[in-house]
Amino acid sequence: MDIIKTIIVEDERPARDLLRNYLQEFQDIEITGEYDNGFDGLKAINELKPDAIFLDVQMPKLTGFELLEVLEHQPEVIFTTAYDQYAIRAFERNAVDYLLKPFSRDRFREAVSKLISRIKSNQQGAVRERSNIEKIRQHFAESDEKLHRVVIKKTGKIHVISTNDINYLEAQDDYVMIYTNDGKYLKQQTLKYFEQHLDSQQFVRVHRSYIANIACIERIEPYEKSNFVLILRDGNKVPVSRGGMQVLKENLDF
Amino acid sequence: MSHPITGNRRSILIYSLVWLMVSVTQGVLYLYVLHLPITVVIADSLISSLMFGFLGLLAWYPTRYIPFQRQSPIYSILAHVVAGIVVLGAWVLITMVLLNAIFAYQEDYIKFLNQTLAWRAMLGALIYLVLVLIYYLVANSQKLQERLQQEERLRGMVRDAELNMLKSQINPHFLFNSLNSIASLTMSNPDEAREMIIRLSDFLRYSLKHRENEYVPLREELGRMKDYLAIEKVRFGEKLQYEFIIRGECETFLVPTMIFQPLFENAIRYSVYESVDPVAIRFSCIQELESMKAVITNDYDPGVPSRRGTGVGLQNVRQRIALAYKGKGSVDWTAQEGVFTVTILFPRIYL
Repeated sequence: MDIIKTIIVEDERPARDLLRNYLQEFQDIEITGEYDNGFDGLKAINELKPDAIFLDVQMPKLTGFELLEVLEHQPEVIFTTAYDQYAIRAFERNAVDYLLKPFSRDRFREAVSKLISRIKSNQQGAVRERSNIEKIRQHFAESDEKLHRVVIKKTGKIHVISTNDINYLEAQDDYVMIYTNDGKYLKQQTLKYFEQHLDSQQFVRVHRSYIANIACIERIEPYEKSNFVLILRDGNKVPVSRGGMQVLKENLDF
Repeated sequence: MSHPITGNRRSILIYSLVWLMVSVTQGVLYLYVLHLPITVVIADSLISSLMFGFLGLLAWYPTRYIPFQRQSPIYSILAHVVAGIVVLGAWVLITMVLLNAIFAYQEDYIKFLNQTLAWRAMLGALIYLVLVLIYYLVANSQKLQERLQQEERLRGMVRDAELNMLKSQINPHFLFNSLNSIASLTMSNPDEAREMIIRLSDFLRYSLKHRENEYVPLREELGRMKDYLAIEKVRFGEKLQYEFIIRGECETFLVPTMIFQPLFENAIRYSVYESVDPVAIRFSCIQELESMKAVITNDYDPGVPSRRGTGVGLQNVRQRIALAYKGKGSVDWTAQEGVFTVTILFPRIYL
């Protein structure tokens, strides 16, 4: 078997030391890099294309989950985190493993042997219907954690946008176009996902294809016969369906 | 409160026995001292005792609904006198009417009956008074029982509330990440691992003391906050910088325990967790005549959108200060030019 290349993305030095120490006994595993934040980790993973990553969840700049959202290269993932939450059950099936800090050497060996056997079966040409990372993303989307920022890849750069800066969102097939004062961003996601995860006090689904930020509405005007249109502060217009008008009325109390 | 006599079968029995004895005593007196005929003796004793026994039960209600007030006893006494006159009047009237009707043909007895009227009324008043006193005793002991039960319930509720507060204050992620750091240090630097365990123990012990909701000198509170920061520094290294500027006279100023913990935790969560550059946390305090002002600042990157909404930590601290100092004291915060500042004003307390 070839050497397994791994990358550690973890913001705490003692935690990185521990992983490196635990990994020493595995001759087949090589650590090609250690990074203390999500941004640097993301860049390195896309460049170095490791076979596996050890990924912390809570990190500066990008969380482990956000990193996976915009990752191009798709390595096997072992999460290492102190987060003991509902997410665990969802992730443990698709990530190779989910190590709860602090974890023992035995527990770590177990995770690594799972990793090795999975990489072996991949090399033997087992066709994966859908990549594991795709499944992790899916589970992340199904969690009910509220969204405060959105991570988007645009022309090779990673943008982190606060949801407060979003003026409105528009569904475009399998993508959602996110409009802000600084420009628009395309994200592979469903409008339904945003409807469920954005703060419903602030964002309203005004139309089958549109979600608007209430704070950005300048006025509401009648449009054609029985329809309405939102005029936003930046001058953009967003169509409102009859159902959307109903929700707006409830939210804005008029 | 239920009626202390009719409320259970045993007191009904005792009460009836007492009246039977009163009735028998009266009968014996009539029979052997006054030599009244046996029919008269039985009728008179039974009717007067039964009636009083029944009316005496009613004396409970003024006791129950006119609580004896130490400050203005006249009102209570008046109320009891009125109630007493009504009960006694009813008793005398009913007994007289009944006995008069039954023994109308025995003129001697009617005469005797009329002669003993005043005497009967006086005796009745005495018994009424004894009954009222007994009722008051019963009512008071019942009230005491209830108060004790209520106090116990309240104490339980306060304990639960404080325990919940404790739960929300020590972040489990802090605990598990610290333990992970210790696990790592046991291999690379056992001495530092031991120091970190001791700091963590001191900090945890102090946070448990918080249950008593007491006040401690600033020196002690900050000592434990330094433990907390030192633990976080092991995790974050050079990224976390902190500085304490404490004027000598502040050291003994009394503050509520763990009041600064949520503020330091916030500073770390919102700046150190989210930053790759060094972040400085500063603490300073100035003592004024009857108060002390403490200021905590931390750097933050205004350009980075937070993953989290606004925390409840600051609101909790504000609420706690408002409760502890009954509206005096204050907690304010500002975010300007990359520096987040929290200012707390502690009034002086005397223990």
